[in-house]
Amino acid sequence: MTASVVRPAAGSPRVSALMRVPAFWVVLAVVAAGGLRMAQLAGQFFTSYPKATAASVLLFALLAVPFWLFVSELDFFEPEPTKLLVLAFAWGGLVATTVSIPGGVALQNLVAKLGSPQLAAGWGAALAAPTVEEIAKTLGVVAIVLIARSQVNSVLDGIVYGAMVGLGFQIAEDIVFAVGAVALAGQGDQVQPVIATFLLRGFLSGIWSHTLFGALAGAGIGYLVVSRERGGPHRVGVAVLGVLGAWASHVLWNAPLVVDGLGNGALALLGVLVVKGLPPLVLILLLVRRAHDSEADYYVGRLAELDDPELITGGELEALRSGARRASARRLAAEQGGRAAASAVRRLQRAQARLAASPSVEQGKAAVRAQRAELRRLGHPEAVAGPVSWRHRAWTIAATAVAIAVLWVALSALGGA
Amino acid sequence: MARINRRELTNLLGAVGVVAILGGLAFGLPAADRSLPAERAVPDDEPYSAGAGVTVVPPSGAVLDVTGTRPGDSQGTVLFRVGPVRYAIAVRPFRGDLAAAADRLRKRIVDTTGYQVTSAQLTVSTAGGLAGLQGGYTAPGRGGRYSVFVADEHTIEVTISGNDLDLGRTLPRIEASTRTLRQNGEPR
Repeated sequence: MTASVVRPAAGSPRVSALMRVPAFWVVLAVVAAGGLRMAQLAGQFFTSYPKATAASVLLFALLAVPFWLFVSELDFFEPEPTKLLVLAFAWGGLVATTVSIPGGVALQNLVAKLGSPQLAAGWGAALAAPTVEEIAKTLGVVAIVLIARSQVNSVLDGIVYGAMVGLGFQIAEDIVFAVGAVALAGQGDQVQPVIATFLLRGFLSGIWSHTLFGALAGAGIGYLVVSRERGGPHRVGVAVLGVLGAWASHVLWNAPLVVDGLGNGALALLGVLVVKGLPPLVLILLLVRRAHDSEADYYVGRLAELDDPELITGGELEALRSGARRASARRLAAEQGGRAAASAVRRLQRAQARLAASPSVEQGKAAVRAQRAELRRLGHPEAVAGPVSWRHRAWTIAATAVAIAVLWVALSALGGA
Repeated sequence: MARINRRELTNLLGAVGVVAILGGLAFGLPAADRSLPAERAVPDDEPYSAGAGVTVVPPSGAVLDVTGTRPGDSQGTVLFRVGPVRYAIAVRPFRGDLAAAADRLRKRIVDTTGYQVTSAQLTVSTAGGLAGLQGGYTAPGRGGRYSVFVADEHTIEVTISGNDLDLGRTLPRIEASTRTLRQNGEPR
């Protein structure tokens, strides 16, 4: 799926250019309608449970921030325009949710009517939710393609837009579930059910939920758009495979399989997370890595062709290839020249990435040279990755241990609740 | 007036296609759901599972509404309709005593706009000996009864709603059904 096809965009699209695209107005109307419906729902929530609703909006909005930063940073060489990322997020949070609420209920009812209530109780959520929600979310990536096709120029772009649609959906759905838990608890306007939902859906099931499913479907749509050298049936086949992969991952997550065999408690919950959540997580992370590396190879190759060490050195080319090495270069700069040098390296890397997208633009070369001069002034002229630092490795291991401990406490609290 | 070119037309058709699929999901599926009957005949002489090991013998003349029936392993719901009267049973995991379970249900009832609980609670019990609490409530244009039982770390919530005339006619049959509520392992 990650064929090394990259078609650099001509830059961020202007709103005036988007307004000349007929699909823009249709999509805008659909987002406005979804926004109206979700605003009505939020109004009902705030009327019944003002404190709990405000807490859930705040908590899940905060949770969205690191996800947003991570997803928007995935495409380092050609970051997606913020306005399109916002549109993707809005599609997930306003349109896909609005459509999925009645569609999901209806499909579960159809499972009960055509099958049996027992089938709907066991498999209704596993069959209905993925079917309706994955289609509604994938349409968000299709909408982005219709509005700004030139901005979807690699498989990685499809992944980023798909993940952003999924993130919007996940946050809106989590808020609805949190307020639903408050209503079900029957304790009035209390925050405790919101916090329990936040731990369960935000942390424990959040990382392998809609953001990942959306990324997988988005990869398929990205491939369909950019792999023009392939035949139509092949491209459509890969796109369908991407959406089916997202659907299957979602079905596995919602399926009543495994749940019964592991009993109750924290270990059982951890087992379910590992068995049902980890395979799609690993699959999609590998796909993202491959798409990222494929795109990085393309852009680093373009920079190498410049053959100008003032713009980029051999060591910097290597550092620019991966997020880990870019971060390592910033750490080395911080050790040798302080925070100012680390910031300058970050700006240099950004300038080099912009130059990679448009190597012939003199303005881009001038921006890189300006950052190079700044680095020389700070006594750290080259932004190369440093050797493996034991201090950094120890810090990573300690942070991972703390994260696992926090997860364990949360699991125990939920398992024992 | 500017004419729409082929590319713009294709773009517009694509957007219309997206809207059509969304419409299919948001309106088509519910329409398909509505087109199929939700009610099923159910025998009134054998227990029906409400989920989590809880069973109930349906009232005579009741039909099962499959849209409100989800008898799962750890929790579940069952919805019967006795004419225009709605008879619902929900079984959910719960750690607490009967008073807390009844309090929770009463709060949920009054949290619904226009709903009010109307009377003091009475103690009730099933044929198998499950102890419960029962009360009444009113809603715009209808009245209702609720009962709550707690068994095996589950709460069993029963709600009956309809207009006063229909309720008066069907309540004896429905309350007889409620008395047949049974948790797995409980002696018959």
